[in-house]
Amino acid sequence: MERLGKLPKLYLAIVFIILYAPIFYLIFYSFNSGGGMSNFEEFTWEHYAAVFEDKRLIIIVLNTIIIALLSALLSTTIGVIGALAIYFMRNKKMRNAVLSLNNILMVSPDVIIGASFLILFTMIGVKLGFASVLISHIAFSIPIVVIMVLPKLSEMNTSLIDAALDLGASRKDVMTRVILPFIKPGIFAGFFLALTYSLDDFAVTFFVTGNGFSTLSVEIYSMARTGISLTINALSGLIFIVTVALVIGYYAISRKTKMPLAGVKK
Amino acid sequence: MKSIIQSAILILLVAGILLFINAELNKGSKSGTGTITVYNWGEYIDPDLIKQFEEETGIKVIYETFDSNEGMMSKIEQGGTAYDISVPSEYMIEMMKEKNLLLPVDYSKIPNIKHIDPYFLDLPFDPGNQFSVPYFWGTVGIAYNPTLLEGQTFESWDDLWDPSLKQRVILVDSARETIGMGLNSLGYSLNSTDLGELREATDKLKTLSPNVKAVIGDEVTQLMINNEAAVSLTWSGQAADMMYENEDIDYVVPEEGSNLWFDNIVIPKTAKNIDGAHAFINFMLDPEVAAQNADYVGYSTPNLSALDLMDPEVVEDERFYPDIETRTHLEVYKNLGLELLGVYNELFLEFKMDMK
Repeated sequence: MERLGKLPKLYLAIVFIILYAPIFYLIFYSFNSGGGMSNFEEFTWEHYAAVFEDKRLIIIVLNTIIIALLSALLSTTIGVIGALAIYFMRNKKMRNAVLSLNNILMVSPDVIIGASFLILFTMIGVKLGFASVLISHIAFSIPIVVIMVLPKLSEMNTSLIDAALDLGASRKDVMTRVILPFIKPGIFAGFFLALTYSLDDFAVTFFVTGNGFSTLSVEIYSMARTGISLTINALSGLIFIVTVALVIGYYAISRKTKMPLAGVKK
Repeated sequence: MKSIIQSAILILLVAGILLFINAELNKGSKSGTGTITVYNWGEYIDPDLIKQFEEETGIKVIYETFDSNEGMMSKIEQGGTAYDISVPSEYMIEMMKEKNLLLPVDYSKIPNIKHIDPYFLDLPFDPGNQFSVPYFWGTVGIAYNPTLLEGQTFESWDDLWDPSLKQRVILVDSARETIGMGLNSLGYSLNSTDLGELREATDKLKTLSPNVKAVIGDEVTQLMINNEAAVSLTWSGQAADMMYENEDIDYVVPEEGSNLWFDNIVIPKTAKNIDGAHAFINFMLDPEVAAQNADYVGYSTPNLSALDLMDPEVVEDERFYPDIETRTHLEVYKNLGLELLGVYNELFLEFKMDMK
């Protein structure tokens, strides 16, 4: 790799400081014994203790993670099938139309999606709560997965498929041994993007929650009226550390197994 | 392919374990006769009181929060969740009443209503308190930091026009508060429907623009706390937050008059457990409960008997519990109707565009 000059290095450093400073600022004050974020008094763990004492908050955190995992998993499954369908569509006009419809959902404002889901759910009588939040999160994550998987598919050399068929592979084998392994990075990227989208979505979730079911983003937004309490800082700190650990873990695993990006794999 | 399936199974497994933990956590609190769903502002109740209510009555409380009157109303209007209790502000109560979204309150089930200061009952937005019971109240006024202003103080709205405050005043980005301040400074009613008065108020506001540093929302609290702003138009609750964090800050309700606001408890049409809702209201009006809650939340309580149980230093603080004499100058917002609200918004926009 070529070495970076001084200026690019400096630029990079500034970008990362801007990206990480707010998070560290927030975490720093989670150790503040004073009530607010204005002046640091003394070091304390009390806000972390408060997080673990507040059962409601923990339930909300778990809700958020469960919804994120399940919705990302399901939307990835649906999204991959959708991407394959779009890729193998013969009619070019049709394909473009479907793709545009997919993109419209990506860029349309969350508030509108949320409001329309609320109207839909109350109209067909779905009880607001876990199911409605899960369904709407799956819905807004699917287009993202499609967008992440499609480029991988078009990157794939079609002669790979032809070769497999010539060698006597069944359609099922082509799918599971050629196509899916090839687009795996796209699938995982789609999954993780869907995961983060679900974790931080406020607007859609706000409209479709109910019956005591709540997620972290909705809870934090409601708290903001009276100023965010340091418990939230502590919680954010914990989530940040867990995320960092997960990312490090992911790299450690993927380095060890160094999976080939293309080719046949059992 | 294998690794994809493995990952999927792993994710499902994790989600399953989390679901199980969640169910276990939920289980402990599920006992007793009924449940009520409370829809309240974030951080607007002492969580210990919910536990106390559950223990005393055996009714389980499902607690949900919202962050704006409008968002709250849209969810109640749509239905879908059986909210038994909500806490809107006064103008929203009026709107919800018009839309027929509220159930009348049955006072035979709320003996504790006797503790409420009669001053806060029977107000124009809900005559006879047919649909709502006072929860917290407050005012609109000026929060300022004397140390940044060489000891300057504020008694009247006109003090904001002082030339020494160039680029130092922060206004709140809300038409009724800001235009209302213009009206108040001229001695007119906050609920003025006279277009001439409104024009006059807007023109007066325009002369304030050299002093205006920004027109913003809730961010003002942090700016004031960090000494980055010296004067702001704000609500008493927000001012209390500022003063809690930064002891230099003071709050005043100008003598010409100002707005008196309320957040009242209501029973939305969606309510399923109406008896439970009444029990909850009655519980919240209990003097000891109200005192503890006011202590936690920091807003002013309308509960007269609770005042005796609270820290006298807080209760005697005229900035948050103004005396009767000051209160006579305060006005509650009336619902002006969409058309007139449009006029307020337009004039406010005109004022904002006029600023350099």
